[in-house]
Amino acid sequence: MSERKLHPAVAGAQPMYRAENDPDAPLFEGAYKQRFDDILTRYPDKRAAILPVLAMCQELRGWISSETIERVAELLDLTPAYVLSITSFYTMFRPQPVGKYLIQVCTSIGCDLCGAENVVEKLLAATGTRTGEISEDGLYTVIEVECLGACGFATVVQVNERVYESVKTETVTRLLEELR
Amino acid sequence: MADASSTQKVTIDGHEVMVPPGTTILDAAERVGVVLPRYCYHPGLSAPALCRMCLVEVEGAPKLLPSCVQQVQDDMVVHTTSADARKARRAVIEFLLVNHPLDCPICDAAGQCELQDYAFETGQLHTRVTDPKMVLGRDNVTPEIVYFGDRCILCTRCVRFMDEVAQEPVLQVVQRGHKGYIDTMTGDLFEHAFSMNIVDVCPVGALVNEDFLFKARAWDLDQAPSICPGCSQGCNISLGTKENQIRRAKPRPNMEVNSYWMCDEGRKTVVNWGSGDRLEVPMLKGDSLLPVDWQRALSALTEALRGEPGAARGVASAGASNEALYILRRLMEVAGFDGGYFAVPMAEEHVLAGFPKLALRSERVPNARGAELFGFERSDDPYAEVASHTGALFVLDDPLDGAPEGFGASAAIFVYLGTRLSPAARRADIVIPVTTFAEMEGTFTNFQGRVQRFAPALQPPGLARPLWMSGSATLERLGTGSAYRSAAETFAALAGDYEEFDGLTYESIGPGGSLIASARTQTARAG
Repeated sequence: MSERKLHPAVAGAQPMYRAENDPDAPLFEGAYKQRFDDILTRYPDKRAAILPVLAMCQELRGWISSETIERVAELLDLTPAYVLSITSFYTMFRPQPVGKYLIQVCTSIGCDLCGAENVVEKLLAATGTRTGEISEDGLYTVIEVECLGACGFATVVQVNERVYESVKTETVTRLLEELR
Repeated sequence: MADASSTQKVTIDGHEVMVPPGTTILDAAERVGVVLPRYCYHPGLSAPALCRMCLVEVEGAPKLLPSCVQQVQDDMVVHTTSADARKARRAVIEFLLVNHPLDCPICDAAGQCELQDYAFETGQLHTRVTDPKMVLGRDNVTPEIVYFGDRCILCTRCVRFMDEVAQEPVLQVVQRGHKGYIDTMTGDLFEHAFSMNIVDVCPVGALVNEDFLFKARAWDLDQAPSICPGCSQGCNISLGTKENQIRRAKPRPNMEVNSYWMCDEGRKTVVNWGSGDRLEVPMLKGDSLLPVDWQRALSALTEALRGEPGAARGVASAGASNEALYILRRLMEVAGFDGGYFAVPMAEEHVLAGFPKLALRSERVPNARGAELFGFERSDDPYAEVASHTGALFVLDDPLDGAPEGFGASAAIFVYLGTRLSPAARRADIVIPVTTFAEMEGTFTNFQGRVQRFAPALQPPGLARPLWMSGSATLERLGTGSAYRSAAETFAALAGDYEEFDGLTYESIGPGGSLIASARTQTARAG
């Protein structure tokens, strides 16, 4: 995160898949505490701030742990179960720690027809992981996601905040090398 | 009768009905006897219209409408069994059964399951789904309630009960779509004084009470309307019995008392009520306490009261019915009423936040108000009030645990009317077995002054009989009254003698209960 103070309007709307994620980083400290306070000023009640607050936690840690859920519940006067229902409903919140690069492969209908399954398989083989796992070198996590909104360029793959179009099994190795 | 502007005409399946504006189609349909299938809708909770089971066709509407939230409009014409409505319901059932395990043979809800009923109605022999069923497994949500994820249809009634009525939103839908399930925060169990209502609201067998698991099939239970004896609230309940044992208690709706709910403690108290070693025969003291038949027992009691034993004092249980307390008072009056006392066990009160009329009251007895109406006094130590009494001593259904050494020794005559023969009760001269609330018809007066009837659910053990029966037979022998043939007749006599009950009869009390005179005027003043 840059040192420049964020405007409260975007305090909870920063990229939330970051290569610099730290799965155990302290929550709500320093600049993040300031951003949390800023987010609250943008909503009529605390509950309404839940999505941006969770997004900020994921931005920092790369995933939403049960510790995060309990902290957020406490800060927003909600039950942990309620926060869990939110984080589990929205699939963009990750329930496990992720590698430096979170590789999200679209397997919705368009990409699926153009061989997304093969791309996933190739990626998993190349990184030596199963879906959702972190590769041994800590670099990659591969998951399947729903439509990324670029159906004209199947197969679509999103790595952290960056979208790669027309990925083929042949280009997978190059993609991974580029990241490294 | 309301005027035309305040009612609207709706036609439901050809039946015309006038209802006030704001009535939902579902409620209006019930007025003409059409009960629409529903899962997410529960009268005690908000209606999210998410299960799509109660969809109906409304003439002029472009698509089917959820009847649980759609309010009627004037001249609306509704078809609940049109081809479209039936097709939609069939589709809902088909979707619900995609992952449902159909494990009805080992499911606690079998026989009382709305999924079973409606799936049966749609009569689909085969599923069109060829994929294997998803397995979610099961888990405890409280120490006493198990959640079977596979059976759950995600109607969210339990979630809304905890949120709206208990006002502790500890249950939530986790995940979404076909992966969704109900959970607390991962791994946590929650505890709440009213948690077991989530089992009652569950339309399927997803939430079950571990206490009742594999205890009885729903269709094997006999049901009797009753009143919970656990505290002075007097929740309306239905006792499920099998083989002359209470197997479970479920709340019966009464908007003035308990709405659709009851507390967990009440359920547990009721199931164990009157179990264990019971007093089953009348007994008289000769050289020792010996069982006798009713004739000899009642003759002995009659003789004893005729023999002018001195004024009567007594200890009563506030768990006894109005009828029993009335008869006790009459028996004591024969010798001269010199004071009756009862103890009220107190414990923590738990108010149901979303329906504060209902609480697990701190007075853990059902009829303290009734006992007071018959001239008994509440006392911290009722035994001390009568321990050294020298006249006639009566004890009604108080186990005498904690009674002082030599209790009743100084009394001219010690009559014990009870359900259990404790060591202290063994010192009585005459022992009369009486019945518990579950074994007789009767009434309690709850903390509001509401007189509520309960029906017999069990056969009394051995020769035990309700006190109104043995007591009024004794009064007849004494020539101070006639033997009553029923609890209703006893109540009629009681209502004639006590102004507070004036005008009340079993018929007028009905299923909802009636307030005593002073409580009626109080309510009228407040209203």
